[in-house]
Amino acid sequence: MSPGAHSAPASSPGLASAAWHSLLWLVIGNAIGCMVALLLLMPAWNAWLGEWTYGRWIMVHMNVMLYGWSSLPLVGFLLVVYGADRGPLAPWCRPVLWAWSAALGVGALTWLSGQSSGKLFLDWSGYARVLFPLAIGAVWALLAAAFVRVRAADSHASRAARAAKLLGLALLLAVPFTIYIASSPGLYPPINPDTGGPTAASQLESSLMAVAILLMLPFGLTQQKPQRRHVIPYAWLALGAESLLCVAMGRADVSHHSPAQFLSLGCLLVWVPLTPAYYAAFAWNANTRGWRKAMLAWWVLLLVSGWVMFLPGVLDNFKFTDGLVGHSFVAMAGFTSALLIFVLVQLMGEDGWIFTRSWSFHLWNWSVLGYVALMMLAGWLEGNDPAFTIVPGVARNALYTLRLMSGIMMLVASLEWFAAATEVLRQQQAAQQFAVREKTA
Amino acid sequence: MWRDREQGTGWQGASLVAITYVYFLIFAQFAFLHRLDALGITGTHLKAVMAAMALGGVGLSLLAPRTQRWASPRLRVRVGLAVCAAAAFLALLPLGTAAGFGVALLIGAGLGLLTVTLVTHLRQWSGSHPLFKVALGTGTGYLLCNIPPFFAASAQVHAVAAGLLCAAGIGIVPLDAAEQPAEAIAAPRRSLPFPLVVACFAALVWLDSAAFFIIQNTPLLKAGTWQGTAHLWVNAVLHWSAALASAWLLTRRGLGFVLSAAFVVLACACLLLLEPAHALPASVLYPVGVSLYSVALVAYPSLLAPAASAAERGRQAGWIYALAGWVASALGIGMGQNLGHVPPAFVACAGAVVLSPWLLGMLRERRREIALTAVLLCVGYAAYRAMPAAHSVAASTAVERGRQVYISEGCIHCHSQYVRPGTRDELLWGPAQSVAAVRSEQPPLIGNRRQGPDLAEVGVRRSPLWLKAHFYDPRQVSGASIMPSFAFLFRDERGADLVAYLASLQGPDAQKHITEEENWEPAPASWAQAGSADGAQLYARFCATCHDADGRTRIQWKTSFKRLPPDLARGPYFYLPPAEMRNMRLVRLAQITRFGLPGTDMPGHEYLGDVQIASLSLWLMQRMDQPMSANRNPIHTGDRP
Repeated sequence: MSPGAHSAPASSPGLASAAWHSLLWLVIGNAIGCMVALLLLMPAWNAWLGEWTYGRWIMVHMNVMLYGWSSLPLVGFLLVVYGADRGPLAPWCRPVLWAWSAALGVGALTWLSGQSSGKLFLDWSGYARVLFPLAIGAVWALLAAAFVRVRAADSHASRAARAAKLLGLALLLAVPFTIYIASSPGLYPPINPDTGGPTAASQLESSLMAVAILLMLPFGLTQQKPQRRHVIPYAWLALGAESLLCVAMGRADVSHHSPAQFLSLGCLLVWVPLTPAYYAAFAWNANTRGWRKAMLAWWVLLLVSGWVMFLPGVLDNFKFTDGLVGHSFVAMAGFTSALLIFVLVQLMGEDGWIFTRSWSFHLWNWSVLGYVALMMLAGWLEGNDPAFTIVPGVARNALYTLRLMSGIMMLVASLEWFAAATEVLRQQQAAQQFAVREKTA
Repeated sequence: MWRDREQGTGWQGASLVAITYVYFLIFAQFAFLHRLDALGITGTHLKAVMAAMALGGVGLSLLAPRTQRWASPRLRVRVGLAVCAAAAFLALLPLGTAAGFGVALLIGAGLGLLTVTLVTHLRQWSGSHPLFKVALGTGTGYLLCNIPPFFAASAQVHAVAAGLLCAAGIGIVPLDAAEQPAEAIAAPRRSLPFPLVVACFAALVWLDSAAFFIIQNTPLLKAGTWQGTAHLWVNAVLHWSAALASAWLLTRRGLGFVLSAAFVVLACACLLLLEPAHALPASVLYPVGVSLYSVALVAYPSLLAPAASAAERGRQAGWIYALAGWVASALGIGMGQNLGHVPPAFVACAGAVVLSPWLLGMLRERRREIALTAVLLCVGYAAYRAMPAAHSVAASTAVERGRQVYISEGCIHCHSQYVRPGTRDELLWGPAQSVAAVRSEQPPLIGNRRQGPDLAEVGVRRSPLWLKAHFYDPRQVSGASIMPSFAFLFRDERGADLVAYLASLQGPDAQKHITEEENWEPAPASWAQAGSADGAQLYARFCATCHDADGRTRIQWKTSFKRLPPDLARGPYFYLPPAEMRNMRLVRLAQITRFGLPGTDMPGHEYLGDVQIASLSLWLMQRMDQPMSANRNPIHTGDRP
């Protein structure tokens, strides 16, 4: 562990449960991903699915990856930051995580049974549209209770830290309502008239949210290094300036052919040098090194490829093709996954070993990179000839077979993490039972 | 070593288990029924005969433990085998109902005596690793029954084989050995109460018997599960592997886990069997579930049950086989006969029984988690009922309902609805719409990935008939399609609604776009690269289904076409210029091939490249010129004529 690093020696049961639930959804999502990749090669096998058709499974795949794998590690982060995983409220961590997973499970069943709002990543509909925000509300209630308890018990916390947490609570309260409202079919973001996709302003807006999370996370994870902390204010200033630019761009339906659009989006490239410098200003556990570097590498690739793929000519070729699937993979399987694992490793301390074994680290990252390269190639070929996908030939099938193999490798890596997380939970449970027996004796 | 020498290697124990299973599976449960059918014993007579078998089984299962004082285990097993063999050979005679009744009684009695005595004393005949021997015997029994030539043999062959096996079994029953002390065979787990174990086995046997009967008596299901050599071999291997896995799981995870796993697998199989289209996955799950619990059914009374003596073990085995074996089996068959399916509610009840130890454990250890989740589920439901905004507005027209079907099926994940202005999209998929028009849809269904064509203007390009035929069997209509079949939508109104919605997708500029299509022709260079040999292949893949006299789509939808597609070997060619205007004819052929004929059932093939379109056109031209020779040998390659 680096000097001055802030970390518990091992994870709390609440955090370990959050890691377990998120990995469960990662395994489920990856398994479904492999299944649908196989169906693209063997379309006759769709008959096995009956009414739970390919399109319905895709909804489940996408949403469990977003609301399960990508969200629950951050829930674990919040439980630790607000102190909900310690003290008398700690036994409530597992119940709120159960409620979250149960709501997501209900969501998966509704999508499989053919209920959807028709909005990508906001497919919440019917009962699940009410239930899932309620589950998020349960997490919020636990965080709020923990905030009140810690505030009363800990007089050493700085006023700024308390204010930041209170502001965080206020923002988090908006999340369940936002999900409910945004799932309404009546709302739709700005449209790029030349592609039907998002505008530069929308892309900038979502990217800046990711930047804000990236900048905020270290404060809940560790401490600053005194000799490098000067970078920190510059990074926040850059975020502020870009946020103003984003507001100025408005929410009109503007084409990516407009220079103002692609040049504005180019301002994100400032984060290529700034993010690594910013993260170097904090003290990290030694065991986070691999995933921290991977996260920063994926982030740099995401920024550069994201901007290049938005340029006129490039986007025109890649839109609606596998090229954009590859780009999404850089964002989700590459950057987001590496970030979440890095956060979990930092928070879990000694228990971070579940993610740091060399073979699964390399298996995941290299297979994601291979997947991205395959999809970019497929996307480029498809952009030149739509029949590449619609009338599958040898080249398409070969690329899709390799893609399936990459997916299977990712599934194997995630299974390994899931098994290890289960082992950590089992050990914690045994230790708890032993402690109870000792106490009783 | 010492123990191995005294008990032998245990192959006799494994063999006796295998023989008993083969006798029960292939003869008592299968061939004997066919034999009775062949003898004309059906209806109520058949029920009476089967009741006699159950009576014999239940009676001897319960009485067998009481015979211990009169004869040695070896002798009792031999008697059981002899009775079974005699019954099998007697079944070959031309039996009447009364004789059938007697033979069935013998089968049941023989099996009752054999099974209970065998498992009571199995541990003295199983050598080392007795659990493995039980699994080997069970798996081998199932494997033998699924070997294709044996499975497909006549009832008489099955009867003779079963009788001979039992006779052979008489010879291999080992000498009685001293009772070995109980040892820790399975993983130390919480032991289940005996009545619960009986109930769990009864639930599993009930599910198994019902599923077996339903598959046997539903031709569609049988075709998807127990027909074909490859299928039977797969079943055999699955049974054998699952049996060995069961022994491993019993050692590692205990009886409760194995019974739960068997239930989950069997329950999935039973639910899948509700729909004949799912017979294939059900056929994979069914043998796995059956073998998982079948090993436990032998291993529990013989090796795992906490019993102080052989007498107690015998009594336990008697109750298990009488209630779970014979009674539950009869009830399962009755369910299959009367309902023709396993009701999901029954599967849930069986689950409540088999999973009860796990569920109760969860309730004890995860009270807080379950309580909070239950509260949220209830509060969420109440809030949902109370919030009208959360309910989707009921669609009133077919087009609106069809749009909802489009959303429900996730069509958006493979098809865009956005023609990018100023790009190749416009020529391929139709005129571009304004952003305002797209935005007026709630929600816009732009999509983000095309595995298939854009559908924004599909109503111009495809007729309702084409859409319907394509939903039924995409690859029949379009040889290259990777789309799944959506035939199930046509069991109710959803299919027609979806077709109505897609047919409605056409903007105000459709006519202008048709004019553009009529002005299109393949790039000049593509004619030079084109060849009619390629065209012949493309024709077979994309066109023959409608334009050959025996085309599958043409035949299936013959009465639904607005006008039957012309047989291109004969004509007439309504939409082509006269034969003398060869160049114009060729270009028009290319246009029709690529964009179809709006207002008719002829679809376009927009996604094909110029060279492919030119090749197809050359081939079609050649076929029209020389229909007979073109069919045999495509000779026209290269330049445009």
